This record gives sequence, C-alpha cells and structure tokens, in this order.
Amino acid sequence: MKELEKTKRISIASVLFILVVLIGLLTYKRPKHMYAVNSKTTLENITTENYLISLNEIENSDVILIDIRNQYEFEKGHLNNALNMYAPEILNEENTGILEELKSTNKTIIMYGNTPEEVVVPFMILHQLGYQNLKIATIKNSYSQNKLITQNIVVEKSEADINAFISESIKKAALQPKPTPKAVKTPKKIIPIKKKKKMPVEGGC
Amino acid sequence: MVNRKVAKVLTFRYKILAGIFLLLAAGLVLLPKYEKHEGIKPEELLSNAISPERYISTDELANKIINQDPSFIMIDVRNETEFNKYSIPNSINIPLKKLLDIDAIGYLNQSQYDVIFISNDHFYADQAWMLCNRLDYKNLRVLKGGINNWYLTIINPTKPTDNMPAEDFELYSFRKSASMFFGVVYPEQLKVEKKPEVKKVTPKKVIPIKKKKKMPVEGGC
Repeated sequence: MKELEKTKRISIASVLFILVVLIGLLTYKRPKHMYAVNSKTTLENITTENYLISLNEIENSDVILIDIRNQYEFEKGHLNNALNMYAPEILNEENTGILEELKSTNKTIIMYGNTPEEVVVPFMILHQLGYQNLKIATIKNSYSQNKLITQNIVVEKSEADINAFISESIKKAALQPKPTPKAVKTPKKIIPIKKKKKMPVEGGC
Repeated sequence: MVNRKVAKVLTFRYKILAGIFLLLAAGLVLLPKYEKHEGIKPEELLSNAISPERYISTDELANKIINQDPSFIMIDVRNETEFNKYSIPNSINIPLKKLLDIDAIGYLNQSQYDVIFISNDHFYADQAWMLCNRLDYKNLRVLKGGINNWYLTIINPTKPTDNMPAEDFELYSFRKSASMFFGVVYPEQLKVEKKPEVKKVTPKKVIPIKKKKKMPVEGGC
C-alpha cells in the first residue's frame, strides 16, 4: 500500500516536471535578430576596415544600392537601381528577407542617405547582425530645382582650424585700436610744452 | 542472480537520477558565455538610435559650458593629433579605437553624468554612441554636427541679414557672446574699453586754454 502511494507521488511529480519543461520549450521564442559580432570585434572592424566608398567606385562596379531615406524622398529622386529601405524599418520582415537573400548572393551592399552620417545607424546594426559586405557611400544628396544632385564628400574632415581663427580674431581686434590712440596723443604733447617755454621769455621783457 | 543485481542497482535509481541532473546542471555552468549576444536587442537598439533625442545642439552645449553645468562630460573620439589641434574646453580624449578599453569604461558606464560624444562631424561620434548604447550604457548624447558645426555656429556665427526674423538676431547675439567666452575677440569689444581713455584727454585740453588767457595779461605789463 505504502509502495503504491510512493509511486503515485513520483509519477505526479514527473508528469508535472515534464509539463514544465514542455511549456518552457513551447513558449521560448527564438529572437528574430541575433548579433553575430560582439562589440569589441565591431569596434575593431570599423576602425580598421575600409567600409567607405565614393561615388565613382559605385558607378564602376556591380553592387546593390540601398537608399535608407524615407519613401517620399526616395520617390523624389534616387540613384539608379537603388532599393528603398527606410532606416527605422530596416529590421522588419520584408527588409530582412531581402537582406538575407542579398547576403546569400555575396554581393556588396552599399547604403546611402542624404549624408553619410544618416547611414551610420543602419550600417552599425546590420554590421553587428553579421552582414559582411556592407559599405557606406560617402555622398551627399541635395535637390536643386527638383533634381537630385549627388556629390562626393569626405567624412570626418576637419573644415576649419579653430585655433587659428581665434588667434586671428585677437590679432585683428588688436590691430584696429592702435592707430587711433597714436593720432590723439601726438598733438596733445607738443602744443602745451612749447607754449610754456615761450612764457618766461616774454615775462623777462 | 541477474534479477538480484538489477534490483540492487534499482534501489539506487533515485540517487543515480539525481547524479545525472547534477552533472547536467554543472554542464550549464561550464557552457561558454554567450558573448556575441551581449547587450540590448537589435530592435531596441534601432528604436533608441532613431530617436532624435540623442543629439544635442551646439547652442545647448555652449549654454551648458558657459553656465558651468556640472552634470555632463564630453568625450572627444577623434585621434590625438586632431584633439591636440583644437578641442572644446574640458573635453576628454578617448580615440574611437580605445573606446572599449578598460580605462574608458569608467567614463562611459556610469549614471551620474551625461556623456556627450564629439567628433569632427557626428560620424564617428554616432558609431561610438551605437556601440555604447548596445552595451546599455546610460545617458549618452551626440553633439550634432560635431566640431565643424561648432565652428560654424558658436566660434564663427554668421550675422543674420536684415530681412531675417528677430529670433535669428537673438540667436546671433547669444552665439556671439558665446564665441567671446571661448576666446574669440571682436573689434568692437575693444572699442568699449577705449571710451574712458578719451574722457581723460579732455581735462588736459582745458589746462592749456587757461594759460593762454594769462599770457596777454603779462604781455600788457
């Protein structure tokens, strides 16, 4: 009788245990996007590899262009054969599907926006997710009379020497006041002194 | 005989089971750390990155520096030569390559101060921001436009033309005074100092005139 009760308890416990494990397994969702590169390697990659590409290189090679601006701007004007993937939507299903496909073909993917800075966010995310052949186009897009104008620019170029500007401004400011005091001082000194000398001579007469 | 042996083993069955579970548990501890999946989820990172809140404008930053706001530190992620050439006062140089070094983590991974990343544009600063945000560091900002924009707006602000709204003029006067704070000198700044000198000159002129009056009197004698 005792033995029977023992086995009963054990079987209930084991059934419960298995149930818990099953529920755990069924409810476990595999995250849709997993990082493939950790942050240390990412940092190493972005500081050592050349992931920038200029406009001329784009035109000369067989690549896939991705426009990360929004649909409105994309329709207003975009580079030839470019795909549109708005940066905030880069991780939705449709886009990941396209990206996975591109990944398997092993083609270079070039992303561009109005400025290279805009591309940093999608680039960094995709890079950390394990996309290898990613490049950022160093181009600047602007509109003139509703026409898209694409120019090459240099990323992170220091445009002005601020120290030089400051010392220049100090020099400029220092130069201007100097002539005015000189002009005022000279007449003052000469006139009174000469008159004083003449006075005693006249008194002697 | 065989049955007896089996029965003997079976008396230990619970202990054996427990042993197996313990072994499995130990195996979990020994599993390699899931290094690659460190930090916040990619989706979360993306939504953080898209919000424009992470940018700070040059005007805001200048205002903070001038008012000696103690709640932030500036991290300059350019290389050393560029940093030595010009840097915003009191900023700390951590080149992008050394961003995740142990020395730098003390500055980045804390909740006491806001961290503002600075580079020439905000290209490198954005990259630094993305890396640190993934590691879930708090209170990170990026100086919008970086040093180049700092130069164009604060150090060398363009004068608004007459047909521009009044706000532009207010902004210009703020930027101009800010640029004076950061060492730029304007010609009119010195003119203000000259005015008292001109006043001192006037009493000198009065004296010779008085003497002239005395002269004809003496001559009459």
